[in-house]
Amino acid sequence: MREINLDPRTKLLLLVLCVLCTMFAPSLTYELILVGLVGAVGVMSGKYRYAIMGVAAYGVIYGITQFTIYELSGTWQAILAAFFGLVNKVYPCGFLAGFMVSTTKTGEFMAALQRIRMPNQIVIPFAVMLRYLPVVREDWHYIKDAMRMRDIAPSVKNILFHPVMTVECLYVPLMTAASNTADELSIASVTRGIENPGPRSSLVEIRFSAKDVVAVLVFLGYFAAGLLRRRGVV
Amino acid sequence: MIEFKNVSFTYEGTGEGKVEDLNFTIRTGECIVLTGRSGCGKTTVTRLVNGLIPDFFPGKLTGQVLVDGEDIGNRELYEIAKNTGSVFQNPRTQFFNTDTDGEIAFGMENSGVPGQEMKERVKNTAEDLHIERLLGRSIFSLSGGEKQKIVFASVYAMNPDIYLLDEPSSNLDIDSMEDLRQHIALLKQQGKTILIAEHRLYYLRDLADRIFYLDKGKVRHIWTGQAFLNLPEEERKDLGLRAAKYFTPSPGVADKKETVFFEVKNLSIGYGKETVLSDLNFQAEAGEIIAITGHNGAGKSTLCRNLCGLKKPLAGRILWKERECKEKERLKNSYMVMQDVNYQLFADSVEHECGFGIQSPDREQITDTMKQLGLYEYKDRHPNTLSGGQKQRVAVAVSMICRKEILIFDEPTSGLDYESMCAVAELMKELAGMGKLIFVVTHDFELIELACTREIHIN
Amino acid sequence: MSRQSRENQKGLTVKDLVTTGIFTALLFITMLLGGIIFAPNPVLTFYQPLGSALLGGPVLMLLIAKVPKRGPIAIVGILIGIVWFATGMHWAMDIGYMLGGILGELIAGSKKYKSKVLNIIAYICISLGATGSYICFFVDRENWCSYMLEGGTAASYIDTMNATAANWMLAVILLGTIVIAALSGFVGTKLLKKQFEKAGITA
Repeated sequence: MREINLDPRTKLLLLVLCVLCTMFAPSLTYELILVGLVGAVGVMSGKYRYAIMGVAAYGVIYGITQFTIYELSGTWQAILAAFFGLVNKVYPCGFLAGFMVSTTKTGEFMAALQRIRMPNQIVIPFAVMLRYLPVVREDWHYIKDAMRMRDIAPSVKNILFHPVMTVECLYVPLMTAASNTADELSIASVTRGIENPGPRSSLVEIRFSAKDVVAVLVFLGYFAAGLLRRRGVV
Repeated sequence: MIEFKNVSFTYEGTGEGKVEDLNFTIRTGECIVLTGRSGCGKTTVTRLVNGLIPDFFPGKLTGQVLVDGEDIGNRELYEIAKNTGSVFQNPRTQFFNTDTDGEIAFGMENSGVPGQEMKERVKNTAEDLHIERLLGRSIFSLSGGEKQKIVFASVYAMNPDIYLLDEPSSNLDIDSMEDLRQHIALLKQQGKTILIAEHRLYYLRDLADRIFYLDKGKVRHIWTGQAFLNLPEEERKDLGLRAAKYFTPSPGVADKKETVFFEVKNLSIGYGKETVLSDLNFQAEAGEIIAITGHNGAGKSTLCRNLCGLKKPLAGRILWKERECKEKERLKNSYMVMQDVNYQLFADSVEHECGFGIQSPDREQITDTMKQLGLYEYKDRHPNTLSGGQKQRVAVAVSMICRKEILIFDEPTSGLDYESMCAVAELMKELAGMGKLIFVVTHDFELIELACTREIHIN
Repeated sequence: MSRQSRENQKGLTVKDLVTTGIFTALLFITMLLGGIIFAPNPVLTFYQPLGSALLGGPVLMLLIAKVPKRGPIAIVGILIGIVWFATGMHWAMDIGYMLGGILGELIAGSKKYKSKVLNIIAYICISLGATGSYICFFVDRENWCSYMLEGGTAASYIDTMNATAANWMLAVILLGTIVIAALSGFVGTKLLKKQFEKAGITA
């Protein structure tokens, strides 16, 4: 089957709808079907493995939630029910977000945000943030190496007995690197014309098509069904 | 055509890197190399052409810079960017996107090039620069040299008339430098005007039409490419310049000793199940300075992490003073001066840095070490305010105070001028003289020639 | 030369925006690290805002020092809200961060970002954003969990919920977050003075 790549704006819209669905979810079964729908979106985007794993994991959560409500009692029931209440509200959205992030490039995000008239004051920091997250991970590995060579490894023992020192070791190189990157990246961006006030184009063309309409209609319909069910109409 | 008319500039708050009374003309299609010691003002010249001065770097500016007869002081940075492309030193901090295609298109997107044309230009750029295999990749999966190629491609795709390259080779190995050389040759063929601020000169040998030598902000010499190649070696060294031609370094020899100080037996290294390097064997004496060379991705940094105990080898043994030496013990007795030394400086002053993390630091020893390394006058300064070479010395001071016996330097001379490179070589020799064993990962043939006793080439 | 240097410009420059983006990434990671010990643990999940507030103070303090202009604090809040939204977190938390950022911006801005105390309060505002979903829970506890019952009746279940997740917990979450965020912000101002001003990386 050919992969279907949805417009990034559609993905954002689906996420909003998904949040609404969980917000007004009438029942746990409703959530289960919602997760199934998200899984279908995943399969269509070509992320088979992730889709199957995601649905299966929810199946387990669903089971535990049922068990919590009907088999447990007392404090544990309350604690676990509150916890799984949150998990159930968040899971379908997180699952959908996973597809969204893994199938959308920085440029697409930027183009989508600009199309929905998000101001540059949000779009530029947003793109930079996405690009910088993996860098923090790299930096962290270097810093950990450096600390270990000076016998000040970020271990539980050091954090407890030398908190000030450990804090300095973590924050100083990390934020110095961040600060330098900020300077150099902004230079590299302005010399490639990021300040151009004219309209920006995009390498990946984003355009709504029939499949976007179908996806949105399905989620919209499902949301409406949930509302009606909740009001006791259906 | 680029014209400098009585241009002077001083950065706000510091005298470093200022330029005075520059008057010269660069013709269209010329390839100009700007060189000189660190802080001589060569980077400042490139910033005057791409408009970063005075927009980005505040300071006192007089005179005019004209590009094709027009004063660029009257133009916005994004207008200049359409005609003038800039590539900088550090490939890690220059990319805006997380995927290579998007990054190549970034400049075109900003100037609003239509989608279809952009796709073609990305494709053509990749073909021209022979980087097709880098398309469609995540930036984070690329090596430093590959990242620099993508940055270059991003500028190339915008098709500017003027290229400004600010120390583009600092983080590149010899192969990547050769690729860079070919890319510059291609630009020359296309009749582009090229300005390169650079320490390392040999890779530009027959590309430079003229070489400008700057000293304390003034242009002191202008040579033609040929005249520069014929410059006597002594004169070149007096001017603090790097070698004009490549040579194969011939490291010296170390004396054989009775006992083996350090030995690596059947070592295999890698990550997880992936072996990077296998069956490595060598011996080393105290007082040796051993160069570790090899291509990008050959496993040089993995080897270093194994040698100093940051990582456990997949197989094989490492012996120190003729007994097996496990990771923990190696970590205690060895120290690596990282390529980006910023990661290993933590304290708020040089003096505190030297005693940082030590239970009861020996004040006298710290003072002596700082004096020995010429750091005493900076003892109250914050390490971050020092130059790259000085930061390296602080890291070395730390290793001496912690009495480390095995030292590893990772690319200690990238981006250093001739004199700073010699200073690093001297420093390593001094340390070796104290009976320490030194490994240095480098592709700087001048450094190997000056300091090393031996070269281990890994493949 | 006719143009002015952009250091003197009033609005946010590209450099300011890039700096804000980078520091938002750092702040986001501190929240993730601090919260990760709590969030997936049923017993501790309610205290996640406390954990998330623990590490980020120095990051925001340095950002304010680097870009002491109108905008960055609000942008941080909005971006973090967007990211949590895009990773599917509860809507009340997303909106909480956005509101917290805007409120913090107004408070810190009232003294031109020069008052340490107000800057710390700005950080507290952002940190309180994480409590949004828990406030939702306590406001409408019955509704929160009743959908899991599929319309069935389990009165005992609702009773235990009321008994265990008592309202004092909400007070602990809110006050705890305020105290920890204040502490983190305070460490931030100290670190700023000791290290970053000396290192020359503040504006």
